[in-house]
Amino acid sequence: MKLDKDQVAHLAKLARLDLGEEKLEAMTKDFDSILPYVERIQAVDTTGVEPFAMPAKAQGWRQDRAVPIDDYTRELILSNFPERSGDLLAAPGVFETPKK
Amino acid sequence: MKLLNELTIAEARRLLDAGEITARALTQACLDQIRSLDGALHAFLEVYEEDALQEADRSDARRQAGQMAGVLDGIPLAIKDNMLLQGKTCTSGSKILQGHVAAYDSTVVSKLKASGAVILGRANMDEFAMGSSTERSAYGPTKHPRDPERVPGGSSGGSAVAVAANMCLGALGSDTGGSIRQPAAFCGVVGLKPTYGRVSRNGLMAMASSLDQIGPMAKTAEDAAMILHVIQGQDANDQTTGEVELFNPKWTESLKGVRIGLPKQAWGMDGVQEAVRDATLDAVNQLKNQGAEIVEIDLPYADEALAVYYVLMPCEVSANLSRFDGMRYGLRQQSLSLFETYAVSRAQGLGDEVMRRILLGTFALSSGYIDAYYVQAKKVQTLIRRGYEEAFKSVDLIVTPTTPTTAFKLGEKTNDPLAMYLEDIFTVSINVAGLPAVSVPCDNNGGMPVGLQIIGPWFDEKSVLNAARNYELTVQKN
Repeated sequence: MKLDKDQVAHLAKLARLDLGEEKLEAMTKDFDSILPYVERIQAVDTTGVEPFAMPAKAQGWRQDRAVPIDDYTRELILSNFPERSGDLLAAPGVFETPKK
Repeated sequence: MKLLNELTIAEARRLLDAGEITARALTQACLDQIRSLDGALHAFLEVYEEDALQEADRSDARRQAGQMAGVLDGIPLAIKDNMLLQGKTCTSGSKILQGHVAAYDSTVVSKLKASGAVILGRANMDEFAMGSSTERSAYGPTKHPRDPERVPGGSSGGSAVAVAANMCLGALGSDTGGSIRQPAAFCGVVGLKPTYGRVSRNGLMAMASSLDQIGPMAKTAEDAAMILHVIQGQDANDQTTGEVELFNPKWTESLKGVRIGLPKQAWGMDGVQEAVRDATLDAVNQLKNQGAEIVEIDLPYADEALAVYYVLMPCEVSANLSRFDGMRYGLRQQSLSLFETYAVSRAQGLGDEVMRRILLGTFALSSGYIDAYYVQAKKVQTLIRRGYEEAFKSVDLIVTPTTPTTAFKLGEKTNDPLAMYLEDIFTVSINVAGLPAVSVPCDNNGGMPVGLQIIGPWFDEKSVLNAARNYELTVQKN
């Protein structure tokens, strides 16, 4: 499998990465060596083999309930907001195109 | 007489308990070492000098009052910059999290605190733990303590150097494909990746959630065991922590009755440096002298394991790192449309290796390719695990070199991602199978350090560490 620049550009769009022309070309080139290497797994006969699912004997689900946090923790979370309106997180409008 | 910062954790514990040293003096010795060396080595991204000294004083007060908190009380340690410590900056070595303050303590940090440990600072790492050299840190590379022109390995390179250069007594690293063991091998320290599910990942910034595991980096196997004993255990905040018997070290004076397998695929591989082959084969002989029985074993799919890893890991990376979207935390490029806010913030905040893996994962998960890449890799993962299950029916432990080479030069592999990935050839299959493995420094006649990897069955860290300790004893004798 070989990916061309347009296909990598499409992946970058799906992944929300504004790569720019130069990086796009470099990444496309990197894929040329990485993809053939990982494709060796396709030669393995996996007829009747289940995909591996559970890495460890694990606990069941925990209850989905809200746990109160202290004011200090709350303030730390709020202080990490990139943009804040009081105690609310400000985000760009979904249907707006801002003026530059 | 060793300097205080050169002590092992076990030695420091005895001296503290005997009242011969104080936690403050021990902590101050580490801080002095950091001050004199870290300008050149850059193992730490931040040092908590004042907090560390205060904690050391509290530890001394506890001891004098006869109320010791735990086995690590008063022991100065470093943590990797992807583990949350409440109120402190935590960036995972990335620009996208510059200035990000941890809102809560990771489970491992809570456990270290409860045990009375003194946390000295956060150690440098490849961005989001993606790399094998610590050159991928957005805050500049960490240098090898024996040769500043060489890399310390990665991604837990800062933790490895902090331990190797006696800036701390031990450290935590995280290992997704070798990120504890490979830098441990390069720097000549002990690094243990516990079994998947042994240590909680709560508060560890996720890289590949089904492979990530936190573990100790230390000067000896005994010290690694002391740290593991504290940080292990089931955690309601990490559903994948196992319902298993807790780890307790068990030391034996010899390896009599222990069968150790050498996978012919690993030992017969091309591209292993002569220095590595000589030192690790010599180590195998020492294990034999300790009474172990050495047998050659067949471990199929060794070649495919790295390929499986480089499909599964990027898939999980692409999902996990989608949280860095410039919305709730981290870098946000302002005044753009919503799509551009995402795309520009991410491209400006994330490094090339991180973006490369996100793209690779996006590809392997995309419609039309998911079966041939992701699902096929999950199937081969089943076969790799079966191979180990089969092998552990006839042997107790498996050993390989930790890495094919010793520490390489800075810049040597940064432009060749595949060459960098091949660094992980001996370590990744352990994560793919979820097994515990330790890298222990070999006797290498003063050359660049070499690591021997000792792999055990699931949740059998005690046998892995016991073999490592037996080997250490033979090195000390020589």
